[in-house]
Amino acid sequence: MDVFFQQLINGLSLGGIYALIALGYTMVYGIIELINFAHGDIYTLGTFVSLAVLTGLGVSGELHGWPLLGVLVLSIFGAMLACGIAGVVIERLAYRRLRNAPRLAPLITAIGVSFILENIMQLWQGPSPVPFPSVIPNPSFQIGGVQIATKQILVVALAVVMMVGLQFFVYNTRLGKAMRATAQDRDAAQLMGININTTIAATFLIGSALAGAAGFVSGVYYGTTWFFNGFSAGLKAFTAAVLGGIGNLAGAMLGGFLIGVIEAMTAQYISDQWTNVVVFSVLVLVLIFRPSGLLGESLPEKV
Amino acid sequence: MKRFSFAKTMAVAGALSLAASLVPTSALSQANAIKIGIDLPVSGADASDGIPTRNGAVLAIEEAKGASGFSFVADDLDDAVQGKHNPAQGAQNVKTFIADPAVLAIVGPFNSNVAKAEIPLTNDAGLVQISPSNTNPGLTKGPDAAKLRTNPVNNYFRVCTTDDKQGGAGAQFARKLGYSKVFIIDDNETYGKGLADVFEADFKADGGTVLGHEHITSGQQDFKALLTKAASLGPDFIYFGGTTSSGGGLVRKQMEDAGMKNVAYFGGDGISDAEFITVTGDMANNTYYTVAAPETSKLASAATFVADYKKRFGSDPGPYSANAYAIAQIEIAAINKAITADGGKMPTRAQVLANVAATKDFPTPIGKVGFDANGDTTNGILSLYAIKDGKSEFINQISFKD
Repeated sequence: MDVFFQQLINGLSLGGIYALIALGYTMVYGIIELINFAHGDIYTLGTFVSLAVLTGLGVSGELHGWPLLGVLVLSIFGAMLACGIAGVVIERLAYRRLRNAPRLAPLITAIGVSFILENIMQLWQGPSPVPFPSVIPNPSFQIGGVQIATKQILVVALAVVMMVGLQFFVYNTRLGKAMRATAQDRDAAQLMGININTTIAATFLIGSALAGAAGFVSGVYYGTTWFFNGFSAGLKAFTAAVLGGIGNLAGAMLGGFLIGVIEAMTAQYISDQWTNVVVFSVLVLVLIFRPSGLLGESLPEKV
Repeated sequence: MKRFSFAKTMAVAGALSLAASLVPTSALSQANAIKIGIDLPVSGADASDGIPTRNGAVLAIEEAKGASGFSFVADDLDDAVQGKHNPAQGAQNVKTFIADPAVLAIVGPFNSNVAKAEIPLTNDAGLVQISPSNTNPGLTKGPDAAKLRTNPVNNYFRVCTTDDKQGGAGAQFARKLGYSKVFIIDDNETYGKGLADVFEADFKADGGTVLGHEHITSGQQDFKALLTKAASLGPDFIYFGGTTSSGGGLVRKQMEDAGMKNVAYFGGDGISDAEFITVTGDMANNTYYTVAAPETSKLASAATFVADYKKRFGSDPGPYSANAYAIAQIEIAAINKAITADGGKMPTRAQVLANVAATKDFPTPIGKVGFDANGDTTNGILSLYAIKDGKSEFINQISFKD
């Protein structure tokens, strides 16, 4: 039974990273119905930027107390800021002009942007895996026979905090209200005096900043990264967003945790090589019975 | 250019052959240049394997002298895509070589699954191909090898030992160190799975216990669940069949978080690159691996090669540099023999192939090399290494003479 709980912890921490990425996917999809394939690469960018901040500060090992807190805040903030700006710039340059084009055009553009980002990062950090310093002291807590590492708590806590904060933001602020209005009916929102361009740019800013935070966390959690990291993580996060109901924030989170746990349990009780098969079978089954995902609302068809 | 060559004609004439002074230099190098194709992964995570290996071949080609006024050039292609060796890219590269009549022989590929994609093409074209490091037994022997070939004349050779020996050596070595319980992980590729399967069989035969054998998927990042499962079974060590880029580095790194910080790690030549130590950091220690090549620093025959390599590239040779050097030497000798036998004409690929196949007791830095009927080396040497304090240390070598 201990192994079961241990795997649950493993699955939840993996799922926390998926959930953080999935939040950005789901926000962008919710507002302009674009599957932003570049989102996974923004996540990798987040890891690299926080690595650059750590290197710039001369950090290469564990820190404690105030220096640790300062370094953490700086590198998370740096990653979120850089990724947020990257998201806004990408939206402005690559997606805005295509907002009213056929659906396929921005989708292909998104794939193109993803390749561009990957290659920029390959030029910047090289094509090989790059080690990430372990800044956080990592004592484990023993509960029964289950070991919980500090890093794992950090991942899950950050995912939950970000999701709750985002939920609050979207439902309780003016900008959040504008986002929801734009998502519901772009033209009507514009008629009501909402600046669509600013609202969509803000969505990209927040979604990409979350990916940046996820990037930092994954660097700390795995202790290594490389330029192509975002591809498979992005794909899984996208699956998580669809599973939970794309466009739904709590759904993205639920989907992320669910996929993480399914992966861990499959590795334990079936076989590691079947994880993707099981994950995608669950996705197919869920979509057969709930086409809009676990928490997705059945919206009127907009296409 | 013209004025210059006129002014210098008298001075240079002695150094040039008669033909060269009559034919413009550019046309000469076009007509008389023989290309040796090199197909290795030289970018991405595989670069730390590929580049030192390529350098070995390049060194031999640069040192080579062509018979009857011919010269040798390296035609160097990369089979890595998105930072990892890619069979489809390898196939594309050998198609490029096949289409170029100046290419008479190929050095490579590095990875067994890439070889699987290339052998059918080069076999059909009758173009000789020698690998420095493909250790999968199925490339030369048994029904797997037959499936890869349409042409009865074998064109594929290798100068390294195969995984049936490498896996066995790993198993023997692990037992000698006193380990009895293993959990095996492989990357599900031709090389990795083949090696892990042989290791599993031999380790059991040597009296060891195999607690489990799992396969990971390409592009996988998170191995914590798999390693937690492994840790719960209490292995003495983890055996990994695969390369650093296909997960060998990340698996080792994540063992720390799965509560296996002090559990030993074993692998084949796939984790013998410098990249492994970079990726795994402190966790690199307590790792053991086998390499299907001799340790060049211990071989008297390799002393000149090692010195020349250091002088040319400013670094120590990699585990397969000497193999690649030996391959290029064998191919160049075969080509020169064909040129001489044919009275100074450009040889055909079939002539080169026949000469390579007949190679016997050919002196190279890695010892006297010859090929058996399958194309396997008759000079099988395996080296064993351990990583201590972040550095690879040679421990022992085993020789298999067929």
